[in-house]
Amino acid sequence: MRRLKGAAVAVSVGVLAAACGGSSHNTSNTTPTSSATGATSAPSSAPSSGGSATGEHKKGGSVTISNEAGQNWTCQFNPFNPAVNSLSLGFVYEPLVYVNSLQAGKETPMLASSYKWSDDKKSITFLIRDGVKWNDGQPVTADDVAFTFNLMKQNSALDLYSLWTGAGLQSVTANGNQVTMAFAGNAQTYFYLFAGQVGIVPKHIWSTGDPAAKPDTWADEKPVGSGPFMVNPCTPNNITYTANPDYWQPGKPWIQKVQYPAYLDNGPANLDLANGKAQWGGQYIPNIDAAYKSKSKDNNYWFPPMTNVALIPNNDPSHKATSTLAVRQAIAAALDRQKISELGESGYQPAANQTGIVTPTFDKYFDADALKASGYDKPNPDKAKQLLTSAGYGPDKPLKLTVITVSGYTDWDASLAVVKQQLKPIGIDLTVQDLEGQTYNDRLYKGDFDLAYGPQLSGGPSPYYELRQLLYSKNSAPIGTDAPSNYERYSNAEVDKLFDDYATADDATQVSIIKQISAHMISDVPFIPTTESVDWYQYNTSDLQGWPTKDNAYAQPAPWNFPDDEQVLLNLWSKSAQK
Amino acid sequence: MRFLLRRLGFFVLTLWAAMTINFLIPHMMPGSPAQVLKAKLNHSGRIASPEQLNALLASFGFDPHAGLFSQYITYLKDMLTFNWGVSIGGSSLGASVTSMIRQALPWTLGLVGVATIMAFVIGTLIGIVAGWRRGGLLDGIVPPVFVVTSALPYFWVALLSIVLFANGAHALLPNDGNYDLGLQPEWSGQFIGSVLKHAILPAGTILITAIGGWILTMRNNTITTLAEDYVRMARAKGLPNRRIMFDYAARNALLPNLSGFAMSLGYVIGGTILVEYVFNYPGLGHMFYLATAGTDYPLLQALFMLVTLAVLVCVLIADFAIFLLDPRARAKG
Repeated sequence: MRRLKGAAVAVSVGVLAAACGGSSHNTSNTTPTSSATGATSAPSSAPSSGGSATGEHKKGGSVTISNEAGQNWTCQFNPFNPAVNSLSLGFVYEPLVYVNSLQAGKETPMLASSYKWSDDKKSITFLIRDGVKWNDGQPVTADDVAFTFNLMKQNSALDLYSLWTGAGLQSVTANGNQVTMAFAGNAQTYFYLFAGQVGIVPKHIWSTGDPAAKPDTWADEKPVGSGPFMVNPCTPNNITYTANPDYWQPGKPWIQKVQYPAYLDNGPANLDLANGKAQWGGQYIPNIDAAYKSKSKDNNYWFPPMTNVALIPNNDPSHKATSTLAVRQAIAAALDRQKISELGESGYQPAANQTGIVTPTFDKYFDADALKASGYDKPNPDKAKQLLTSAGYGPDKPLKLTVITVSGYTDWDASLAVVKQQLKPIGIDLTVQDLEGQTYNDRLYKGDFDLAYGPQLSGGPSPYYELRQLLYSKNSAPIGTDAPSNYERYSNAEVDKLFDDYATADDATQVSIIKQISAHMISDVPFIPTTESVDWYQYNTSDLQGWPTKDNAYAQPAPWNFPDDEQVLLNLWSKSAQK
Repeated sequence: MRFLLRRLGFFVLTLWAAMTINFLIPHMMPGSPAQVLKAKLNHSGRIASPEQLNALLASFGFDPHAGLFSQYITYLKDMLTFNWGVSIGGSSLGASVTSMIRQALPWTLGLVGVATIMAFVIGTLIGIVAGWRRGGLLDGIVPPVFVVTSALPYFWVALLSIVLFANGAHALLPNDGNYDLGLQPEWSGQFIGSVLKHAILPAGTILITAIGGWILTMRNNTITTLAEDYVRMARAKGLPNRRIMFDYAARNALLPNLSGFAMSLGYVIGGTILVEYVFNYPGLGHMFYLATAGTDYPLLQALFMLVTLAVLVCVLIADFAIFLLDPRARAKG
């Protein structure tokens, strides 16, 4: 987790995943330093040819992960349990294909050595890799893959990505070493989920006894998977993973051991990172240059941006002020996002922009000209004042608005203090209301707010995934009922159509569709991005090499990014073990 | 006999009332398990539908559609049969409540239990001596000091002790957890040493804040008792001072404190939430906190149940003890 203690723990249960998964972003990547050494280990090429990289490095060494858990481990590793799957996916269970969100969805074949879409993209056939074994010695077969997906059909609670109910999956069949998945419609936008996120489980374990009877609640204390590591052993205070000696990528993993202590608090987690006791961090460290970077020349960090942090105005007509376009435009025009980033987030989270496209991660989709033409590229208080006057407010007749935020998220509080200051001169009197995590969620989901700061959604390999959550009208709900993710209650038939079209479009068209959606972001101002949420990531290079870096972003780098963690573990090697 | 029966009847009635309140209060908290889970499921741009959340919760034994009353009946049945189900809160989704509690209970009993008993024993001894030597040096210094410390809030003392003893890179004592990460629980000197080291600050905090009350009441009780005729008679008989102090004065002065001690023993089960929270001590108090933050009804209900039971059972035992020790209670019964 990432925020300061009070905050972090306060929401730990509720928002752990979101907090971990959600946030953050880069800025000053201070650290090109020694990192490059690892790059030579050809992270991207390694698995791409299925195995490739033949023992470039000798085996040995271990890595300790520092990522505040907030409570002791329950030693469950069921990959279908959303509370614990980050501890087994990537380590023990593998997807069919690894999809890298940081490199425009670049694919690395894992359990599937290749795949082929039908022409209408309604069906896809995976060729399952030969010679892969589960860590109990049995071979991985196409049957196992089909079994995994069909298990999710029989138990809707396992279907975390709603593949059978939402994505239109209709059948999954195995034939020899091939698996064919048939969908009701064009399924290309779901590829990231079914091929990239679902961990394949062994049929011979999951079809008998406890796991067959209760696959959703089974603890799976000794997970049998195909991945590079095995749980050996787990105690409430620490999980030890040891290398799977029969892993299918020859010679890998190079690292032989992973320690994952259950830090109850950010304090010791950050301290262990600073003194090098833990080498791989996913922590929010306040004042990181002094508290971490300066402690050793081997301490590095990199915060790649993934999603937006935004002011979410309630677009529902029942909220008169914020449903008025001119008011939203005025706020968007008044904000100096660079200042919010510098003062509120110490620059760790970079400034966002009104197109809703997170840069530089998704530069391909970013329409800089449109942003410039709109005038939202830099703050314009005069225009903001005019807009607000046209809506009937002004410095003499200030508009009183309340923004809800999560209490204890001190960086958000600081950001909002800056926002408040910037809105005051144009005639908006902003009150910041800190709410305990659950109350905040409740009001956000139910639409009980004028403005909300957030929203801690997760992204995907293109801006489509985040923007669709926020803007697609089917993700909205009437005020008073929980909205799935369109909390501002924005509804625009044209935008809906664009999202529908995106699903069946080719690459080039998808880019142009996203740019059209950005145009609506600019004209309708459904929400107002302020900063870009990042993945918090620290790494120590004194012994371990091969880390993902800004210049070699072969995976989302934080230890809580799954199944990206597997790519990192497969690329790490120990200098001292090479002698 | 009627006294005992009446006590038992009262025990059952209180238990039922407390269990009902224990059921209702968590359900009145803001937020719902589905919302907590929704935040948890937020990964890879996926959107969890309400149906999916409910299906997931239902498979873990929580059916949000069941009426409150039918939930209540199931709850009473499950509680009484010790069938406590699995956690539905955030990071512990699916973990068995019984095993979670079994894991945390020894830490709380060891830390808070031992500290509470020590506070009572030491406080009582100091109180006796201070009352016996009323106006002496000990009486002039110790009770006032501890009365002041007992008025300090737990968390403030805890934070202060962290600042004083556990701050910085070369801290004297650890400020966090129950033993060093990386050690395996085993009967080795290193492990036990680490456990003790981690217990010093939280136990000290409890001791400092709890002891004052015992000293003060015991001292005052002793002084009152010393004015009784039987103490004067004991002196007249020429009994040694030590014997008068403990067998005549203290024994009678202790009686009113017994119920208080029993109740404070009962509260041990709840852990001292603030102390365990500040020191991140993974006992029941810390678990209480996490369960509340995660709207974890099954875990909360089981924890409430334990606290209720512990307090009621301890009070019942104290009642019986007084019944045995004090003839006046028997006569009135």
